[in-house]
Amino acid sequence: MGLLSIIRKIKRKEKEMRILMVGLDNSGKTTIVLKINGEDTSVISPTLGFNIKTIVYDKYTLNIWDVGGQRTIRSYWRNYFEQTDGLIWVVDSSDLRRLDDCKMELDNLLKEERLSGASLLIFANKQDIQGALTPSEIEKVLNLDAMDKTRHWKIIGCSAYTGEGLLEGFDWLVQDIASRIYVLD
Amino acid sequence: MEAGDRDRSRDPSSTAGEGSDSEIERKRAQMIERLSNLHQARVQSSAREKSDSAPPSESTEAFLARFSDSKREIETRIADSKTVTDAESVKSRLEQIAKSIEEMEKLVAENSYFLPSYEVRSALRSVAELRQGLEVLNSELVPKKKFSFKSKSVKKGLSLSRPVAAEGTDSEPDTAEKGRFKARESPGFRSRTGEVLVKDFKGLEVGEFTISDLEECEVRLIGRVRAIYVHRLRNCKVYAGPVLGSILIEDVEDCVFVLASHQIRIHHAKKCDFYLRVRSRPIIEDCGGVRFGPYCLEYEGIDGDLKESRLDEETGNWGNVDDFKWLRAVQSPNWSVVPEKERVGTVIIDNKMSG
Ligand SMILES: Nc1nc2c(ncn2[C@@H]2O[C@H](COP(=O)(O)OP(=O)(O)OP(=O)(O)O)[C@@H](O)[C@H]2O)c(=O)[nH]1
Ligand SMILES: [Mg+2]
Repeated sequence: MGLLSIIRKIKRKEKEMRILMVGLDNSGKTTIVLKINGEDTSVISPTLGFNIKTIVYDKYTLNIWDVGGQRTIRSYWRNYFEQTDGLIWVVDSSDLRRLDDCKMELDNLLKEERLSGASLLIFANKQDIQGALTPSEIEKVLNLDAMDKTRHWKIIGCSAYTGEGLLEGFDWLVQDIASRIYVLD
Repeated sequence: MEAGDRDRSRDPSSTAGEGSDSEIERKRAQMIERLSNLHQARVQSSAREKSDSAPPSESTEAFLARFSDSKREIETRIADSKTVTDAESVKSRLEQIAKSIEEMEKLVAENSYFLPSYEVRSALRSVAELRQGLEVLNSELVPKKKFSFKSKSVKKGLSLSRPVAAEGTDSEPDTAEKGRFKARESPGFRSRTGEVLVKDFKGLEVGEFTISDLEECEVRLIGRVRAIYVHRLRNCKVYAGPVLGSILIEDVEDCVFVLASHQIRIHHAKKCDFYLRVRSRPIIEDCGGVRFGPYCLEYEGIDGDLKESRLDEETGNWGNVDDFKWLRAVQSPNWSVVPEKERVGTVIIDNKMSG
């Protein structure tokens, strides 16, 4: 096997990004993935295990892992941490009551060493709902400024319902991962 | 896959013409070095992280071999079970098969980071097929059992003493809503006792609606909303028109709900009846003694509201409940169907406050 075929092999992997999407149940993860992929969002059941979606985005292939957020299955999130390039944390901005829960789960996740190198995108979802907290309010509640300074992160308001904000979020995430990992291009 | 590689620019034959000067050569050499360093680093770090658990093979072949072994094994077990008649061993067989399928899914998840995505998807498809096979087996073996179970558990009072729900999650702080966002409360009914609470959403742009901390109240919601959050109700009745998004219910006891929504999630409910129309499968978690029946609400203009919310069709999903505390093929002991003669019948509401 010559060097060039090695390079080709590595390169092909290089173009792939592994993205883990988590958050409390009902936050809208599955809806976001289907919406960004242009699929029908009218019948979505709560996720019992996980879904994987492969999406070609710019010149990258995103493997998106959408993992169910019901309390019982949150302990399985750790099965998916390995080799994660990007982490998307989805918040239901209209569910004020469970924001403490949401903060606690996010804090736990960020302690995880296997995720320490991952870029973090926080989607403040359901912005179309009247009374939803704004992204900057969510940022305060989740105390994002206290995060480890080495972490690349961004919070973006979005609505999986209207599609607003989704591309902006994915653009940032993909660019950020690309600039960290694929410096060679 | 090799054949589909269109990345001709890295093919020596296509770069030859670009002038293979030493500058390009040097850059390429650097790139190779950095790439292999990066690759090494990734492999090493994943090996390091994995060393405390199962030894990583990181080989697609090894994964596929293991995966297809257990797939075959499960298929055999499903086939073998078709002839089993003894109820007890049917039950334990079904449960064991379900558990093995879960383990297969976990195997896929754990190995997914190095598997080609095609393999991941086809492995997941196999898992789904096995689940389906199990479900078929289940319906072949235990249809009567399932039915008799349901009619047994609906006897009032029987399930009341079963200590199902709790499990410590109740220690969840109740402070969130009392804390930061008191100043900005969303529309809703909160902290009432013994009242009839009526809200007509017609002509209003209502986003989410919250119903919390009620005792012995009757809530009537007429018209459409995007989302409903229900928290801490005792001895209440809640009747609501269609919800375009989802309903989230937590910590309710001795209540009756008549609801229509695209999604419904129920956590920590005890001894409640739910009459639902849902587009997707309703789910319960940490519930006990909950029963389900079809939606049965009437108010003036409800047909139009249901239609606009795409909830005019009976999907039958009210009976397809997924219990997150019982991810097995056999019927969950935590929920049942309300027998027809015990159902509430059509509930007619209007927006007048007449008791
Ligand atoms: N109004 C509104 N509703 C949304 C939005 N995003 C999702 N929803 C609704 O929220 C509910 C939950 O969405 P899902 O995508 O199933 O949530 P999830 O995070 O995948 O939930 P789990 O699979 O249980 O972890 C659905 O009823 C969606 O229609 C949004 O941006 N606006
Ligand atoms: Mg989901």
